[in-house]
Amino acid sequence: MAHRKKNRNVGIVGVGQTKYSSHREDVNQPEMIHEAVSLALENAGIGLNDIDCIVHGNMELFEMVFQPDLWHVIGTGAYGKSQYRITTGGTVGATIACAADNLVASGMYDIVMAIGFEKLQEGHTTGGITNMADPLWFRHLQTGALTGTKAYDMIREFGEERANRAAMMYRIIMDKHAGLNPNAHRSFGLEFDQMGDLIKNSPKLVGDLKLIDMCSQSDGACAVIFMSEEKAKQLSMKPVWIRDHVTVHREEIFHLFGYDEKYPITMTHTLAAERLFKRNGIAKPLEYFDVFEMYDPASWWAVDWIRDFFLLKGDEHLRLVENKDIMIDGKMPINPSGGVIGSNPIGATALVRVAEAAMQIRGDAGKHQIPRPVNHALASGFGGTMWTVLMMLEKELNW
Amino acid sequence: MAEYFGVKVEDIFNTMQERFRPEGAQGVDASFGYDITGEGKWKLTVRDEKMTIEQTGDLSGCAVVTVTDGETFVGVNIGKVDGMSAFSSGKFKAEGDLGALGKTAKMFRKFVPLKKEMSIRDYLMDMFGTVASRFKAGAAEGVDVVFAFDLGGEYGGKWSVIIKDKTCRVIDRIEGKPTVKLEFMDAKDYVDFSLGKIDAQSLLAAGRAAVAGEINLALKWAEFFDKYVDPMGSGEKEQELLVLKKTISVEQRYATGPVMGKFLNGLKDKKIIGLKCSGCGKIMLPAVEVCADCRVRASEWVEVGPKGQVRYMEYVYYASPDPLTGETRETPYGMLNILLDGCKGNETFAHLVRRDQIDRIQNGWNEASGTRVRPVWSKNRTGSIHDIEYFEIDE
Repeated sequence: MAHRKKNRNVGIVGVGQTKYSSHREDVNQPEMIHEAVSLALENAGIGLNDIDCIVHGNMELFEMVFQPDLWHVIGTGAYGKSQYRITTGGTVGATIACAADNLVASGMYDIVMAIGFEKLQEGHTTGGITNMADPLWFRHLQTGALTGTKAYDMIREFGEERANRAAMMYRIIMDKHAGLNPNAHRSFGLEFDQMGDLIKNSPKLVGDLKLIDMCSQSDGACAVIFMSEEKAKQLSMKPVWIRDHVTVHREEIFHLFGYDEKYPITMTHTLAAERLFKRNGIAKPLEYFDVFEMYDPASWWAVDWIRDFFLLKGDEHLRLVENKDIMIDGKMPINPSGGVIGSNPIGATALVRVAEAAMQIRGDAGKHQIPRPVNHALASGFGGTMWTVLMMLEKELNW
Repeated sequence: MAEYFGVKVEDIFNTMQERFRPEGAQGVDASFGYDITGEGKWKLTVRDEKMTIEQTGDLSGCAVVTVTDGETFVGVNIGKVDGMSAFSSGKFKAEGDLGALGKTAKMFRKFVPLKKEMSIRDYLMDMFGTVASRFKAGAAEGVDVVFAFDLGGEYGGKWSVIIKDKTCRVIDRIEGKPTVKLEFMDAKDYVDFSLGKIDAQSLLAAGRAAVAGEINLALKWAEFFDKYVDPMGSGEKEQELLVLKKTISVEQRYATGPVMGKFLNGLKDKKIIGLKCSGCGKIMLPAVEVCADCRVRASEWVEVGPKGQVRYMEYVYYASPDPLTGETRETPYGMLNILLDGCKGNETFAHLVRRDQIDRIQNGWNEASGTRVRPVWSKNRTGSIHDIEYFEIDE
């Protein structure tokens, strides 16, 4: 939905996140969700009675609870309210943000709360992912979310040494960022001088994708409250505005990692970025945005996707990483939160990107606040074999 | 209520009943008052070797009333504040019969705060000290193994846990070749791991821990031993956090539809047939009804392969268990994207490679050809992916 078609403006007024962890056996699912819901309401300074509608999302196959929105009413507070449930794989958190934006923009609801959650320790993540593949053929072949294709591509393009060091540099930067974020699941305290050692010694999963490169499996929930411009004015709130969002899906294919350059394959990240930037008149995204919260499931993909999302050429993306421009105090900070590699409660993960982007614009991200004014933020979601959601957030109504 | 040294004033009073020693209260028939500034007043009554404690505003009739502040009261009770100096400095006052106050000391077991500091070393001693008592002999029928622990860092050390003949013993060294050896760079990580503060995956990923020997056995630790319970607890009587375990096994049956069905039927006859898009000419393998790019229904069937060249092999070191069967594929294994003869560009076909050949596979790129492979057909073909056992090098 292009922003020009929006019926009215919508902004984020509240964010709540649990601590992300692999050890949340102290609470059940609705209890954990309620932690995020309470925090978001407190953050917005409103009560549950003010919420008109709830959008609930996660992946049923991960916990094997069908229609968890029923059980979760206890924690979401959806009793007697409109509730929508959405599942779109890794993008689910981004999709519920888009849905919440659309629901408020439509005029149907003034205040909508999006809730993404996952308790990955309660089920079987790879089992869930494997069962997304078609059962007629690919379910028997695929390896969950693990693939060595991007490492292979990057090594082919930039050589083993440079590619490996760029991926590990990205990984260590994320670890450092996660160390600043009290909600992050994993921060090992990695240092840049460990790069060679980690490249050599971290166990390999698939091809050159190593254990250290891959995201965690986290428990956690995130809630974000969306409000109409009129309502925000009425309540004297200053929201972070949702300028636009774009979604690009494609069919599940496993040969999309093309090995014949004469036959280009549609990459959803690039397509989404091109569409979003074109219709918003952004010629130089790298200069325009002050922060990018990227859905980065593994360090190899992350480095490669910087090129896709910012529409870069050649090795520009590698240089951004190598020069540490993506660090919190760099030219183009990426994931000051520590990203998905730091915390990955899948159904919440892409919503966390939006939440963190909003926090950066508000300037209240605490220790992982970018030390420069943040006016324009980009957040991404990724799922399936290749789906993309991009959301643009703004400090001011500037369009 | 405020906490002092991690303990509330009411914790002291609320635990009096369970700390009461009737033998220490012989011959006592009196009430004792406690006036804790800003916290409240309590009245302890002892008679016939029984006691009652109540929070009350009325301390009349008490043989002695202790007047102090919360910090001093808690401090004295848990041994953080020296009672004599508190008494001397006037922070701790007794109004009434001082002799009677002295009797209360014998009537109660010492208050032990649940939250006290334990060092890494204390934890290690407690963890390995309780291994034998946590051993589940019933689960160790016929098990003859040695778990060795090599924990580094300032507080580290070496331990071996030996299970044999349904008994378990622990020694503080590693002898010979253990069945499985767990190494933690820093003993603190092992403590955090055992307390559930950090997961093994994270430690292994960061290179802060390693497992040598029979790795699968390391995963079975929980079958042989009850979970270690942190003696620090959470400050209250620990409620056991229950986790309900379930295994789902579901019969599934999926209709193939006529297009995928035709493709699968082709496999029965050792033929690989794809569908060609009438728009872009792309061949789709396995066959699907519609070219997603062109949004055109495809109808032209073409037989391709069955030989071809490898474009890319996914070299898989780590296999997840199949959630439906519980089986784990042997690793390493290779998943292939094969450009079958008759296909072009990226019209690849996915299948597995013969396991003993994975290290000989070369990927192709653009004009460069990858390793030539051919399918190995199953004897009993039913129209499924398993009709091809795998692809092998075509030599």
